[in-house]
Amino acid sequence: MNLERLPNEEKLSLCRKYYLVTLAFCQIFLFISPGGFAFLPFLWLVNVVWFFREAFLKPAYTEQLQIKAYVKRSALGLLLWVAVLTTWITIYQHFRAEWGEVGDYLSFTIPLGIP
Amino acid sequence: SFVLETNIGLIPRTETQSRGGNGTSPEQNGQPPAAPAPRVVEREEEEDEEELTLKYGAKHVIMLFVPVTLCMVVVVATIKSVSFYTQNDGQRLIYTPFPEDTDTVGQRALNSILNATIMITVIIVMTLVLVMLYKYRCYKVIQGWLFLSSLLLLFFFSYIYLKEVFKTYNLAMDYVTLAIIIWNFGVVGMMCIHWKGPLRLQQAYLIMISALMALVFIKYLPEWTAWLILAVISVYDLLAVLCPKGPLRILVETAQERNEPIFPALIYSSTMVWLVNMADTDRPNRNSTEAASPQQEPQEVASPVPSSPSQDDGGFNQSWVSQQEHRLGPLQSTEETRREIQQMPSARPPVEEDDEERGVKLGLGDFIFYSMLVGKASATASGDWNTTLACFVAILIGLCLTLLLLAIFKKALPALPISIFFGLVFYFATDNLVRPFMDKLALHQFYI
Repeated sequence: MNLERLPNEEKLSLCRKYYLVTLAFCQIFLFISPGGFAFLPFLWLVNVVWFFREAFLKPAYTEQLQIKAYVKRSALGLLLWVAVLTTWITIYQHFRAEWGEVGDYLSFTIPLGIP
Repeated sequence: SFVLETNIGLIPRTETQSRGGNGTSPEQNGQPPAAPAPRVVEREEEEDEEELTLKYGAKHVIMLFVPVTLCMVVVVATIKSVSFYTQNDGQRLIYTPFPEDTDTVGQRALNSILNATIMITVIIVMTLVLVMLYKYRCYKVIQGWLFLSSLLLLFFFSYIYLKEVFKTYNLAMDYVTLAIIIWNFGVVGMMCIHWKGPLRLQQAYLIMISALMALVFIKYLPEWTAWLILAVISVYDLLAVLCPKGPLRILVETAQERNEPIFPALIYSSTMVWLVNMADTDRPNRNSTEAASPQQEPQEVASPVPSSPSQDDGGFNQSWVSQQEHRLGPLQSTEETRREIQQMPSARPPVEEDDEERGVKLGLGDFIFYSMLVGKASATASGDWNTTLACFVAILIGLCLTLLLLAIFKKALPALPISIFFGLVFYFATDNLVRPFMDKLALHQFYI
């Protein structure tokens, strides 16, 4: 869909929805993971990229302030997630062989050969 | 198992939209102009319109080249690198129960013919079921099917795909990261396809799911069966879209009678991807003479067909293309289920007023079968890259021709036959004639 063709209120609403959907998933996951992360960094990324121009590079209009807020929040969530994921992946890749059984249990694919 | 069927077709675009007001060309209405003077004007308009049509047609052909090429590239790249999709695990679909590793050639031929027959029968039955459902207004059922099948594609098949890619490149991956990746991919995909999302992302997702589907086909259809099916489905497509009693034709006409867009289907559009939902009565009316219409595009409603023909110049009411989705049911093996979706490509013009927004639409079924042809060619041809490239070029030429015909005839057209026909001809010719020729030349160091 083309953002150009939407009136401003629609853009705001869309941006907000994208942001909120991820938080909504958070509610679901509250049961599964205490702390309740919203498990959709990709969606936040899409939100940031898609609305970036709208929020920062265009001349101001009334809803822009709110759009900016949502984009910033999405970006924040995204950064947090990137940090968490990078940490986890580094830890996993580094220590996988040493963890023995636990490592194998966590593994989805196990490479052949000597690590 | 749920099965829906889709057919392939293209819909013509009309230029009347861009002309605002009274651009209906006489050829479309089938009515001669009233007075001689307007006749002259209309003739000029006709010519201009034809030029415009062809000019736009050319631009949109190019716009379709890119996604079709991308899809094929993805499929061929995967086939070449991930051996999973070319391995014969002995698994077959329930729709192709006859094995092809038989003792005699005759037996093999017979088996493949039987397989193809079964498959085509399934497709025809499904088409009819779909038409019935549509006729009796069971829109929710169709929508639900669409939703479920895209769910399957986005989650399950991509899971398998990732697994194989990781295996091929010998990477370690843990369940946690994998779950997050698949979850994100799937959810954003569902949102982009069925709801709203950035255009490029939508297009990317559609290409990806077409590629996934084509890969599944390539893996699970034995060789001769696959070629036969391609040939037969092109013929079927031709018949179903063009014959007066064809199910697709009926579908189109029913939709036209009810003045609603044809039901949920996945269509690739070069400007905007629309998921056509059924019978949304509160769809905004599009007035073609309105220059700026910031009204919300009926994204989820997609049909570019305007709801009220009287407002438009009657352009879109022309033969629509019917679409069906085609899904096959579960495999023999309980590990995997398989489904395919083909959709009709309706190359219809979007309901935009300004010219730049016009796009061409092609159904996903076309993507899938084109990619399947090229993928199969790269997997099994002795000529390897020569054959693959030849098939690729053939398909693009076919696509060009089909779009040209579309511009000329302004009717719903099947997109498969010409391309697949060329593709098949080029494949067999290159594999059996050109390749040995080139080999001999290379052997004797004779350069031409």
